[in-house]
Amino acid sequence: MIGGSPWRGGGRSRVTGAQAYVADLRFEDLLHVKLVTVDAARARIGRIDPARALAVPDVRLVMTPAELPDPMPRFGPQLRDRPVLAVGETAYHGEPVAAVAAETIDAAEEAAGLVHVDFEPLPAVTTIAAALDPSSPLVQDPALRPGDALAQTNVLREHRFGWGDLAAGEREAEVVVDGTWSFPMVTQFAIEPHAFVAAPDGDGIAVWSAIQHPYWLQRVLASMLELPLSKVRVFAPDPGGGFGGKQHAKYEPLVAFMALRLGRPVRLVLTLEETFQAVRRAAADVRVRSGFRRDGTIVFRDIEANYLVGAYADIADRVVAKGSYTSNGPYRTPAVRIVARSLLSNTVPSTAFRGFGNPQQIWAVESNMDEAARRLGIDPVELRLRNLARRGDAFLPGDLPADGVWADTVRAAARRIGWGSPLPAGRGRGLAVGLKEGPTTGLSYATVRLLADGSVVVHAGTSDMGQGARTIYAQIAAHELGAPVDWVTVVMGDTAVVPYDQQTSASRSSVLMGNAVLAACRQVQARLRTMAAALEGVDEADVVVDGGEVRLGDRRLEIADVLTRGLGRLGGELIGVGEMRKEAQPEHPLGGTAAFYEFNCTAVEVSVDIDTGDVTVERHVTVSDVGRVLHAGQVRGQDEGAAVMGLGHTLMEHYVWDEAGRIRNLGAIDYKIPTTMDLPRSMESEAIEHADGPGPYGAKGMSEGALLCVAPAVAAAVRDATGAVIRDLPLTPERVWRALQDRTPV
Amino acid sequence: MRPFRYERPDRLADAVALLGEGSARVLAGGTDLVIRLRDGSLRPEVVVDVKRIAEIDDGIHEVDDRIVIGARAVMTDIAAHPRIRADFPALAEAALVVGSVQIRNRATLAGNVCNASPAADTAPALLVYDAVVVATGPDGERRIPIDAFFVRSGVTTLGPGELVTAIELPLPTQPRGSVHQRRTRRRGHDLASVTLACAITPDGTTRLAYGSVGPRPVLATAAGHAGPVGEVLERMLAAAAPSPTSLRASPEYRLAMLRVHAERALDTARRRLAEQAAQ
Amino acid sequence: MSDPLRIEVRVNGRTRAFEVRPHHTLLDSLRDDLGLTGTKACCLVGECGACTVLLNGRSVDACLVLAVEADGGDVVTVEGLAVDGQLSALQAAFLETGAAQCGFCIPGQLMAAHALLATTPDPDRAGIEEGLAGNYCRCAGYEQIIEAVQLAARGTTGPSDAHPAADAHSARAAHPDAADRPDVADRPDAQVAPQ
Repeated sequence: MIGGSPWRGGGRSRVTGAQAYVADLRFEDLLHVKLVTVDAARARIGRIDPARALAVPDVRLVMTPAELPDPMPRFGPQLRDRPVLAVGETAYHGEPVAAVAAETIDAAEEAAGLVHVDFEPLPAVTTIAAALDPSSPLVQDPALRPGDALAQTNVLREHRFGWGDLAAGEREAEVVVDGTWSFPMVTQFAIEPHAFVAAPDGDGIAVWSAIQHPYWLQRVLASMLELPLSKVRVFAPDPGGGFGGKQHAKYEPLVAFMALRLGRPVRLVLTLEETFQAVRRAAADVRVRSGFRRDGTIVFRDIEANYLVGAYADIADRVVAKGSYTSNGPYRTPAVRIVARSLLSNTVPSTAFRGFGNPQQIWAVESNMDEAARRLGIDPVELRLRNLARRGDAFLPGDLPADGVWADTVRAAARRIGWGSPLPAGRGRGLAVGLKEGPTTGLSYATVRLLADGSVVVHAGTSDMGQGARTIYAQIAAHELGAPVDWVTVVMGDTAVVPYDQQTSASRSSVLMGNAVLAACRQVQARLRTMAAALEGVDEADVVVDGGEVRLGDRRLEIADVLTRGLGRLGGELIGVGEMRKEAQPEHPLGGTAAFYEFNCTAVEVSVDIDTGDVTVERHVTVSDVGRVLHAGQVRGQDEGAAVMGLGHTLMEHYVWDEAGRIRNLGAIDYKIPTTMDLPRSMESEAIEHADGPGPYGAKGMSEGALLCVAPAVAAAVRDATGAVIRDLPLTPERVWRALQDRTPV
Repeated sequence: MRPFRYERPDRLADAVALLGEGSARVLAGGTDLVIRLRDGSLRPEVVVDVKRIAEIDDGIHEVDDRIVIGARAVMTDIAAHPRIRADFPALAEAALVVGSVQIRNRATLAGNVCNASPAADTAPALLVYDAVVVATGPDGERRIPIDAFFVRSGVTTLGPGELVTAIELPLPTQPRGSVHQRRTRRRGHDLASVTLACAITPDGTTRLAYGSVGPRPVLATAAGHAGPVGEVLERMLAAAAPSPTSLRASPEYRLAMLRVHAERALDTARRRLAEQAAQ
Repeated sequence: MSDPLRIEVRVNGRTRAFEVRPHHTLLDSLRDDLGLTGTKACCLVGECGACTVLLNGRSVDACLVLAVEADGGDVVTVEGLAVDGQLSALQAAFLETGAAQCGFCIPGQLMAAHALLATTPDPDRAGIEEGLAGNYCRCAGYEQIIEAVQLAARGTTGPSDAHPAADAHSARAAHPDAADRPDVADRPDAQVAPQ
């Protein structure tokens, strides 16, 4: 059961078309919403005239800022800075200034095009350099950040982390490797575009959203609408991919206000283009200086990272902080200084995206390690192994010590890629490692109901957005309570029915909610023990409930039989409630230590067409330390999926902006993601298991690891194949070709 | 999508009459048209679906000394057609890289030509094979050499009310090595940033056509022994003038890749010619 | 100027006569007029393949076909793959290899794979990559999707041995016994409109 590959929970409905995503739900009396935007990034908004739109038959409402409370309600997980609709000025290309509700989507679309908006484009801040330039316009009204000394700048926050004596490290260094690497803006591109429905629900409201954090959304809406939590019911049907882009509220407040105003259900389904204008990953420039002794020992690391976040904070500054805090990587480095800034800009608000700020840093630091290996004349694998933290090392002072035998992961990847063996001309190999902190706080509740026939219902507030949480919880319950896995139903996605879960992020759900489910199962087992002891007339201490069965000494009882006898004629069920807390630690720079680390090593072999710059990933090996595999197929799916997503930002993905701050490659025609034809010619993934994680049966979280270090591994391989050093992503054929033109003849 | 009137004439004459109405667009495969109807860049009052017109077929036929490709023939069928694969491989290869399978199951060669996109992958092949566009309009049928068909992006020499009914390819009268090559941002389907076709005959005559490096696809011809290969190629590629504002590739890269792909295409075409001679 | 038109289409084996607006696509019509929401909307420009259906036996992007163009035609959607509640070999193979992660692209993947196997019963890996290139999976379960197609093509239910990835995984994770196979129950949860 544990470690096997039962069919995915919810799998059958996913292959029959029965799985109902938000846009598939049917509502009586539904109104359709379309956003109204202007063709500018930053613009002064003048008069908004809805008259022509309101004249379109079947149009019921043109929502403008004038229709919303004054002052404009604002929201955001870090800063309450995002308005329900832009007021006064737009802050980025695609920010809605109004919204239309109509009986048909045709009418809503037509009317949205007829809302007249007077606007005057204003200079926009769209680059890191501009955001750092004191003469640039301010992206945010300083009044949104009262008492913040940085409010008069475009620096949202500056973070400083580190330890040790940097000056001593500088003195000790025999070789210093210094460079700046840039990481592009990319978008989550979930195949399910975000969809939102709101409907009056008695004296409260119900909202449906493809959201990763339904309970957080519930709090946001309750606060904005001044309703008790119990009157805000959030339904979170399984999202069609999240990748971080569906963590936090986006247009739910807007549709909620519209539904309450109209007294009817309203639905907004974004176009793919609108998702590009709703969510993205922060771009970053990262300068890394690393000092080494000649034997390869790292003696200091000095990192300065500037992340270009968007016009509103969303969760972006947390992304910057968490991504930067671990940016030294899994190495034992005596002196580290990290400065990281989140820079506001007139671009789409960046938010969480698989890897959460780490891929940007890892691209730079691991590429710096590759350069160091060359400068030092030490094999890149050897250099990493020499400095890698060993299990228990306090490599990140004040945080969780190294929680894995990470050298096993590196060696497995090196062995699989054939590190050190000869390669034909035009081929190259690269290897990199990636480390990411798991969740720093957490709170998950689960209920487990063992029904009278031995089948099980689990309630868990995780959002199953593809990671397969349904399967994991069913496996745990099945294993603990002796039910066939297909006798377990996992109920999610309804804040009125399912107990609280903090959030679905940071690869936490197998560990934190998994432990809550396990704890609930243990409670049920305790009740079974009491029941069995009473039935058999023995002491409770003589009854063991474990691995799905009840044992009294040598006797084994079927759980279903114990239930039938114990529950008696009235039937009933045994209910367990599980709770898993990871408390905050206010003195910690991130508010808490890591629950676990995700550690991955990626090794690739590439070929490069030196005439065209085409990079072909011939072999891709990804090895992750997962503690314990709970579901083999899903572990593989997460690792390979993360790897391919990493190849996207490594080889092809990036937003293109015009000078006015508008997105030029809005939509699928000119924003390319990997297809089946862009896969590595072979892909291998492996999970390292030492059962040393904090989750059920020793599991760690693992859904992001395989994305973390794809880019530096590929770039190192390109360098190995051609000698060309490239410090900007993506490695498009044109960029590689240019680097090949510029390379110094060997 | 803005509403429009939909017409599905059975007869060619009716289609011609409808197209003469002014704001009308032809619907064949729809793989470009529907995108542009949705994004609002086209706002016709009438959409004329030509797929039920008796005089226009979806077949590929050999007629006398030429292959006639009906205006409804889709890329999938063109790419798979044995005669096209044998005698017009550059066209088969180009048809095979137009979008995904789903796109190729709908997209027509005639539609690709009529859109007159500078990046149209089939255009260079049609140019090197001297294709003829057959069109019918208010004044009857007209046969337009493909090189005289393209004007610039989105513009052809079709007159008001004129409709393409077929595309013809003269059958080769001598052995010929030919090939299509292109450059995209990824291996999966993409719009070309360079697309070209090359054909070589035993007398050394080289025909090279290329697109996505200027406002319309260009055909260049060189006789055998016209000079050193490098110089000949330079002359043949001289008409390339890529857009400086495209986001798919810089002009510098396009020009460099045009050269690379042209050289590779020449090699392949020569090899294919030699293989034919050996048979 | 754009009055509704009455069309007749055979959809999943059943002839349906209904009215469509000329500017509505087959995707719109399947989802909104016929309630067949298994076919998904994503890019709407024929790049992602989430809306793939079979039209007269061929895979098409339903977002680029006007509904009225299907008049007189035959359409198969993902809802038409299972017969009497029995999954098709391809559907079962997708579950067997774990190809469905978030699942949003899966209807389109299944239809593209179905079309591929109809014309090429035993495709090689390159053929599968080409055949499915028009279907994005952002969870990028491509390897497991490809293996599912191989599995269905072979008509067996054993583990794949065609690709190193499968070896890598089978090497460390013993294949579960038959009791582990069934689907974890997936009743529609929490998707009822409030009263």
